Amino acid sequence: MFILKEIGIILGGPQGAGLETSMAILGRALTRKGYGVIADREYFSNITGRHSYIHMLISSTKLPRSLGYPVEILASIDAETVFTHFKDVAEKGVVIYDKNQLDKNIDNVPSMEDYTRERIKIILARLGVNPTIENIVSYLEKERNVVPIEIDFISIIRKITERFKIDPRQASRYVSGLIVSAISIVIGLEEKFVRYGFEQQFRERRHLIEHNMALYELVYDSIATFRNIVKVDAPRIALNKLMILTGNDAIAIAKIIAGVRYQSYYPITPAADESFTIEKYEYNEVNGKAVGPIVVMQTEDEIAAICSAIGASLSGARSSTATSGPGFDLMVEGISFAGANEVPVVITYYQRGGPSTGQPTRGSQSDLMNAVFAAHGEFARVVLSSGDHVEAFHDTVEAFNIAEKYQVPVIHLLDKFLANMIASVPVPDIDRVKIERGKIVFSRSNYKRFDLSNLISPRAYLGADNIVMWHSGDEHDEYGHIVEDPENRLKMYSKRIEKMKLVLEETPSDIKMGVYGDKNPDYIIVGWGSVKGVALDAIEMLGDRIKLCYINMKLLWPFPQKEFLEIVKDIPRDRIIAVEHSHGVNIASLIAMSTGITIDRKIAKFTGRPITLNEFIEAIEKIVYRNEKRMVLAYGA
Amino acid sequence: MERKWDYKTSLWVDWCPGCGNFGILTAVVKAFEELGLDPSKTVIVSGIGCSSKIPHFVNVNGVHTLHGRAIPFAMGIKLANPELTVIVHGGDGDLLGIGAGHFVALGRRNLDIVVIMHNNGVYGLTKGQASPTLPLGVKTKALAKPNIQQAVNPILLALASGYTFVARGYAFESTHLKNLIKMAIKHRGAAFIDVLQPCITFNDVFTAEFYRKAIYKLDDDPSWDPVVRKPEEAREKLLKSIEKSLEWGDRIPIGVFYVNEYVLTFEERLNKRLYKYPAINPSNATIEINGKSILSQQEFEELFKDYIVVVER
Repeated sequence: MFILKEIGIILGGPQGAGLETSMAILGRALTRKGYGVIADREYFSNITGRHSYIHMLISSTKLPRSLGYPVEILASIDAETVFTHFKDVAEKGVVIYDKNQLDKNIDNVPSMEDYTRERIKIILARLGVNPTIENIVSYLEKERNVVPIEIDFISIIRKITERFKIDPRQASRYVSGLIVSAISIVIGLEEKFVRYGFEQQFRERRHLIEHNMALYELVYDSIATFRNIVKVDAPRIALNKLMILTGNDAIAIAKIIAGVRYQSYYPITPAADESFTIEKYEYNEVNGKAVGPIVVMQTEDEIAAICSAIGASLSGARSSTATSGPGFDLMVEGISFAGANEVPVVITYYQRGGPSTGQPTRGSQSDLMNAVFAAHGEFARVVLSSGDHVEAFHDTVEAFNIAEKYQVPVIHLLDKFLANMIASVPVPDIDRVKIERGKIVFSRSNYKRFDLSNLISPRAYLGADNIVMWHSGDEHDEYGHIVEDPENRLKMYSKRIEKMKLVLEETPSDIKMGVYGDKNPDYIIVGWGSVKGVALDAIEMLGDRIKLCYINMKLLWPFPQKEFLEIVKDIPRDRIIAVEHSHGVNIASLIAMSTGITIDRKIAKFTGRPITLNEFIEAIEKIVYRNEKRMVLAYGA
Repeated sequence: MERKWDYKTSLWVDWCPGCGNFGILTAVVKAFEELGLDPSKTVIVSGIGCSSKIPHFVNVNGVHTLHGRAIPFAMGIKLANPELTVIVHGGDGDLLGIGAGHFVALGRRNLDIVVIMHNNGVYGLTKGQASPTLPLGVKTKALAKPNIQQAVNPILLALASGYTFVARGYAFESTHLKNLIKMAIKHRGAAFIDVLQPCITFNDVFTAEFYRKAIYKLDDDPSWDPVVRKPEEAREKLLKSIEKSLEWGDRIPIGVFYVNEYVLTFEERLNKRLYKYPAINPSNATIEINGKSILSQQEFEELFKDYIVVVER
């Protein structure tokens, strides 16, 4: 096999087998060597037994931004992984499998959904392959030149449990280390990096480092002939220090740096991990400087989460909450209160598949309109989205600055893809972090919280010396007392809404949107959030054939009409393509209502799986060369 | 001599003449006066309904929130700035209907907040629908049919939820109520006062006349001692207060049902984890220096070293 610049891996097994651990170990080990890594985690709403997998890309030349198919390595812990992903293995790739699963028939995989089983059986029947692992492996070997790498999982793990006198009931804990070892050997990752990965992962359970290194040696002996069979180029990325983390972690860390000192949440996928990470850092001292204390409050529901975050903000804390669609729905009345009372608060909203419970562990961008329009009455709010981990870090800080400067609720609209995806990224530049708290009054007689002499009334915190003030969800006067007078209503209602003009005037253009690619494009692609990585890779790959530009919309509300119109002014309307992980590609509707531009070329994906590079490129080609209007993508298991 | 703070605002109080809320307002103002509360360090947080307009009539900080949600707002206010005295006012529909989950949660946390429930058995502002404290089968005048839902016992629920100060007052026993409010404010931990309150317009069953006949003061019995004086007494005192809470009808007790200061407050529980809390808290912690992060690049990398990988060439 020739030497590759990048390789794709699918690493699959039952939920609960430690795939997330495998992902973390491999990610750190590969980053240590200097590779760029990105990995998406796909899983069911289930604790144990359902099929989950990691889709990873390793690059020797850059920090990867997107995933694609086919993959060079399919590493399976169980039979279901082989059945589910065999068709995604590249010509001349490898499949790693457990010898003990060879005679497993697809009908004997109870964890597989019936619908999926029937779908795969049809595919296998068309290929003339009987639905057993043995037959599939043999098919891959003969028809696709795939190298089968067989490992006797049971025998290797038994050796470990015997050698270290481990309770056999704990044997399954070693599967994650076994598969990490196998992948490392196949791609020729040196032992010291593997050891580094284990050391980092098991810092607090050091005996596991020794166990896993012994495991590595056993796997090595068992598959030594396949060492470095998948050849990936030596890393050539000019960064000596990287962070490797999930989107949840990136945002949690950003919140700590932004000065969040009250974070509330009710457990929900895929948002809860963010609050866990903040809690881990609830109080620290670095060089004698206190970071915290941060009160992380698990509330009784999302209503209490938003209301208590608003309360904490009234007391002067930078406060936020994190949730997903169902939780956000419950928060809506609270957001309306924050709007009416001009309370700064940040809601980090990780979209998942809806409606209702929908696909709780799958990704989606179908809640754009919910974020922008949910809540009764009219008031200023800001909706900000981020395209990747680094953007999400800086946008998190910005979200609090906007919230406090304009005294508005800010919804930071993200998704499950970003939340759970690990990526190796440059260490954020802390000098870039600006903390702007807006106009604050610390003491004043006859203070008016809602002073009408300016659009932004200087804010005082509850408890400020000599200040007594009122807030009310009812329409109120400058002091915060209930007033229904029509003239007061006109002034107060308008003041709150007109703050949006200031947001549009004062927000720097790089927070509003990012424009990438050709300055004189044939086509402009518009998207937001997690579309960014795959879009940038696609426009680069297609660049020699089609001149493309990608607009990464970040400030979604208020919509930056002026800047958007400027970018698209020279492009014919039928050469704009909107992309979104949704059915409606709702960004097109938001653009239409904000600018009058109708976009009828759309790329939609709503299977809950991220848009992959292969299908995205194909979709653009079909739009450009075959004049397709709407492409619906569905790749990925 | 220092000028006395006027704890009443100048706003016209728009409750119906004869409303029980007037008695409660008088007791609150008097309690604040006698405690000499600093108005800028005191916050009344209310929900929605007639009684929840009370913050506008009291000259301390007021946060008039959403229906049922006064407790979570108050929780955020108090957790962020534990120096504040935080008092929640709400009706029975507000606190035990739409907001019942928050009511229970506050007891579990034993956060140092006072909850004063204006309990009139009806939803007054929406014209007299049955509230969660109206007994089964009772037909007040606005109801087309007798109440088909059972009443919840507020005292029993508060005890079960973990409130460490539980009392009942009566709106027109203003001095008695004032004393309960003072005790509740001074109590460390979650305090609840169920205030029986006639609704002159919509509740023609539980009227001032009814209560005048039915209520009696727990204090009148010299052997009644609701205070847990050593931790071992907690169970026995709780059982007695539970039994007492079941009295209703001809004889309704008012006064203190249960006090237990041996349960850790939420602030104390947080202190065990965030050891500078409550002295350093979300409202006064340093989060920036001249608009920049409090951490240098190096300090940032030190704090988050678990996520940082140094490439080994």
